[in-house]
Amino acid sequence: MNIIESTRMAVKTLTANKLRSTLTMLGIIIGNASVITMVGVGQGAQRYASQQFESLGPNVLFIIPGSEETRDRTFQVPRTLTLQDAEAISSQVATVSAVAPQLQTQQPLSFRNRQSNSLVMGTTPDFLSVRDFGVDRGRFFTETDVQRNTQVVVLGSDVARKFFDDTDPVGQQLRIKNISFQVIGVLESKGAFLGNNQDDAVYIPITTMSNRITGNTSPYGTEVTFISVNARDEASVSAAEFQLRNLLRLRHKVVNEDDFTVRTQKDALEIVGNVTGALTLMLAAIAAISLFVGGIGIMNIMLVSVRERTQEIGLRKAIGASQQDILVQFIIEAIILSALGGVLGTAIGAGGVMIVGAATPLKAGISTPAILLAVGVSGGIGLFFGVFPARQAAKLDPIVALRSA
Amino acid sequence: MQPVIRLEDICKIYGMGDTEVRALSDVNLVVNTGEYCAIMGPSGSGKSTAMNVIGCLDRPTSGRYYLDGIDVAGLSDDELAHVRNRKLGFVFQQFHLLPQLSALENVMLPMVYAGVSSAERRERAAEALTRVGLANRLNNRPNQLSGGQQQRVAIARAIVNRPVMLLADEPTGALDSQTTQEVLNIFSELNASGITVVMVTHEPEVARQTHRIVWFRDGMVQHDNMRPADLAQMTLTV
Repeated sequence: MNIIESTRMAVKTLTANKLRSTLTMLGIIIGNASVITMVGVGQGAQRYASQQFESLGPNVLFIIPGSEETRDRTFQVPRTLTLQDAEAISSQVATVSAVAPQLQTQQPLSFRNRQSNSLVMGTTPDFLSVRDFGVDRGRFFTETDVQRNTQVVVLGSDVARKFFDDTDPVGQQLRIKNISFQVIGVLESKGAFLGNNQDDAVYIPITTMSNRITGNTSPYGTEVTFISVNARDEASVSAAEFQLRNLLRLRHKVVNEDDFTVRTQKDALEIVGNVTGALTLMLAAIAAISLFVGGIGIMNIMLVSVRERTQEIGLRKAIGASQQDILVQFIIEAIILSALGGVLGTAIGAGGVMIVGAATPLKAGISTPAILLAVGVSGGIGLFFGVFPARQAAKLDPIVALRSA
Repeated sequence: MQPVIRLEDICKIYGMGDTEVRALSDVNLVVNTGEYCAIMGPSGSGKSTAMNVIGCLDRPTSGRYYLDGIDVAGLSDDELAHVRNRKLGFVFQQFHLLPQLSALENVMLPMVYAGVSSAERRERAAEALTRVGLANRLNNRPNQLSGGQQQRVAIARAIVNRPVMLLADEPTGALDSQTTQEVLNIFSELNASGITVVMVTHEPEVARQTHRIVWFRDGMVQHDNMRPADLAQMTLTV
């Protein structure tokens, strides 16, 4: 008997038992749907995170205090980066176009009877160009403001709305940690960055920040949380990295291990890729378990089916079916069940991916390799879990099989 | 002319040592082409075992079995399956039709395993069903047919591959007396057209319509060629 005949026979048998066939497929359908959805969501998260970093621009470098190793070991990172480092980079590294040191903490804000905790960010005027922020109303603070420690503040759009509703906040006095600041501008809405709402923040000159708010100065000078740097262009990113690394080594008198870390956009993308890649893998692994369970379900039903159809098998053997004929017939039934379940599951999974894509910022996508893999794997599962019951069927003694009630 | 069945010193022994059971001991039997023959005997006499050996469903422990001139005693399972497919047609007490297939498809089944082309299968199956009087029931499922009709479908399935012999195991055991007669008439007609028919039965009325009765007892052939007329006396002694 050839494959076409076997397939036709298998289809006939499966359609004669629609309910059982459907229930058997259910495990594979669910398994496949979850693989497709999970991988889709995982890759969506990956893409989302990547886009966030790409939105920074390809020229951005970050300098953060502490070496890779110390950041791994301790929570309290050393306060080795200073405002003076940032100034040195700005004035001495030729491949750098803008430098924005940033010093940030959560602080209580208040205006009249309204209070709220928000992120307070001390920085320099370069911040606007480095991070590509725009001013919606009023102005950003200037180099003069930084030099003079002026108590001026620029509001993120959410903070402006929270404290001043629809009225113009420019000229009002906002209290940060009970110190009065004059509002001089409001930034354009920028949205979230990696889940942090950048609009729920206020921006003040970094000198005012360290002198009046944090009071933190490290033994090396005015401490900063990190420094954002813009290279002149994309080609000079690695040159800039090399130069500012050497500069900081000299300034910090580094002998062995660097006490700071430089990350480029590429590094950041790589890290994000690793993390979300692991996440995707984990989701896929969980989903794969349900696919495996679905395969065991197929084996279960096939074993029951062999038991139930003993007489049919006996008859087929009596009229001339070889062991291989019976084996092939049952394996094909298992493969059809699992492959069809795979296709249906993939369709449902694709639907799930679209729903996730529509309902969340995750740009969940249906990936062709995931589909091919899921359908291929489920077909393989059918083969794998179908062989054992099929062998049981093929080895039945026709006399015993025909006699069974 | 070559006999269809030639059994030479066939023994079938189940179990080993103390639990050994001799189901058949030194059975010799010849059935020629065109015979219509019933195998009878009390239960435990070995007639079912003999039927299994004749039907190539079971292998004898020792002895030689020539089916249509071929020594089949030493063949493998798959070779036996091939022999059953090409040389034998089976009719069972319980019909054994596949419920998910129509009458036509059930009859086509042996030809599927014989590798006959789809068009020819259809044609020959319809022909066989016409021969057993079911030309108007080709597309009915077994559960839409009466017991007698189902058994006739089974007979059509048995003859469709043009076997050298029809083997029937209690073919009327599940039928009432009227449909029993219908089925026996078909056997008679098929035999008249030249097909060798061997059936196992325990019903004297059925056996009486055959031409020869082989009587088994204690695993041996007690009477090789009883005339149906002698049957009344035989059944009394059982």
